[in-house]
Amino acid sequence: MAFDWLNKFQHDMEKEPDYAAKTLAAYRLGMKAKGSIVGVVVQPAPNCCAAARKLPAGRVYHPDQAPLLPLPDCPQGRRCGCLYRPVMTYQQAEA
Amino acid sequence: MNSMAGVLLRVPPFKLYRRLGWPRMLPLNLTLSPSPKCNSRCLTCNIWMKREDELTLDEWDKVLASLGQAPYWFTISGGEPLMYPHVVELAQLAYEHCRPGVINIPTNGILPTIPDRVERIARSCPQSQVIINLSVDGVGEKHDFIRGVPGNFKKFEQRLEQLLSLRSRLSNLTVGIHSVVSVFNVGHLDEIIAYADQAGPDQFITEIAEPRVELDTVGLPITPSPEDYAKAIDRLIAYLESKRFTGVARITEALRVEYYKLVKRILDEEDQVIACYAGWVSAHIYADGTVWPCCVRADNLGNLRDHNYDFKEIWFGEKIQEVRRSIAAKECHCPLANASYTNMLHDVATLVRVGAKVLRPGNKRQQTAIGDPGQPVPTAATARQSTGE
Repeated sequence: MAFDWLNKFQHDMEKEPDYAAKTLAAYRLGMKAKGSIVGVVVQPAPNCCAAARKLPAGRVYHPDQAPLLPLPDCPQGRRCGCLYRPVMTYQQAEA
Repeated sequence: MNSMAGVLLRVPPFKLYRRLGWPRMLPLNLTLSPSPKCNSRCLTCNIWMKREDELTLDEWDKVLASLGQAPYWFTISGGEPLMYPHVVELAQLAYEHCRPGVINIPTNGILPTIPDRVERIARSCPQSQVIINLSVDGVGEKHDFIRGVPGNFKKFEQRLEQLLSLRSRLSNLTVGIHSVVSVFNVGHLDEIIAYADQAGPDQFITEIAEPRVELDTVGLPITPSPEDYAKAIDRLIAYLESKRFTGVARITEALRVEYYKLVKRILDEEDQVIACYAGWVSAHIYADGTVWPCCVRADNLGNLRDHNYDFKEIWFGEKIQEVRRSIAAKECHCPLANASYTNMLHDVATLVRVGAKVLRPGNKRQQTAIGDPGQPVPTAATARQSTGE
């Protein structure tokens, strides 16, 4: 993938305390305002916790139903490398 | 007043600063994003979904005062910057405190209030060159599809006409057309070039769609393949090289060609190619007061609200050191146009090539057989053919 370094880099960034609330609120607004976003996926970090590994791979969530990151009891806390990624209409069309 | 000569004089000390950490200098290229709000719904950008606790004008006033006359080039970005209700006042504050040579503002051209705001900015910043770049990512409905707004192209054309007519009254106003080259339009860049050729702007510039933390586009498949990009951009280079430019435009167009070639190499080699000066010469202040070295990485260098609105505290602080190490170690690479043009100014080989090109006697204008053999260079006539006019 182009600029793969950026994906890895973002996994390593420390999360803001309001990461989940803010990101999901943005996606919620995006869907409400009829942007080309259709949902959100959780992209687990390579070294993610056991709970993150159990999440269904590639599942597209509505922002209201997405699990909150970091997951409860994640030993890495704000250093949790799991990320939300928006899912766009054109990605679903490709799939 | 900041001048281009002053910028060039700062190149050697900036090179020293990057290498040795001395002399300490404030950035000359600064991007301000006062608000992420935007009335476009682009396939290549998700910033419009964000909401922030935005800096107030009073806060911006303090921040800009702390910068003194260091910045030469301001970009007021967004979201849609000309939708930000205090954009005129923000530009005035930047002018009052920093006396920049250039205030550059991209816009989607949707709102009817845009010409009035542009006029007020240009009139109140008379010693700065005010550059307004109208975005166009396709001709007609293709543009509307990519930008997610029905009727956007018609509004763009109205705004372009209005802004072009302002130029006769405002000698410090430059009006350009700007295209983001993405997977969605890389196949019809010729059509956009041809459209821009007949539309009469002062400049036509392109930037590649790249993932950015700022735009929440990391991991999205929006960047064209190196092959597709090279094929399209070679046509643009051929077009530019078929034109005759004079004066300053000769230098800026030579730099643009260098930039397009640099992007091809960055995509192909997955490397910075030339040293990146983001974090030394260029910086970005986000809507909530967070300082970034650039909008691609968007490392949180600190929030101005936590530093008494003094940019220097963050720029000369401890936290930025690790980010500078990472950038200097080439742990990142990207074709971000804003940073790339600054980087090219600090690259001797690029400057030599640009200088040689500018001094070389002009080529005769060629209209055929440039780029792909047998393919005419895009012109207004081919634009009309391809759009069926």
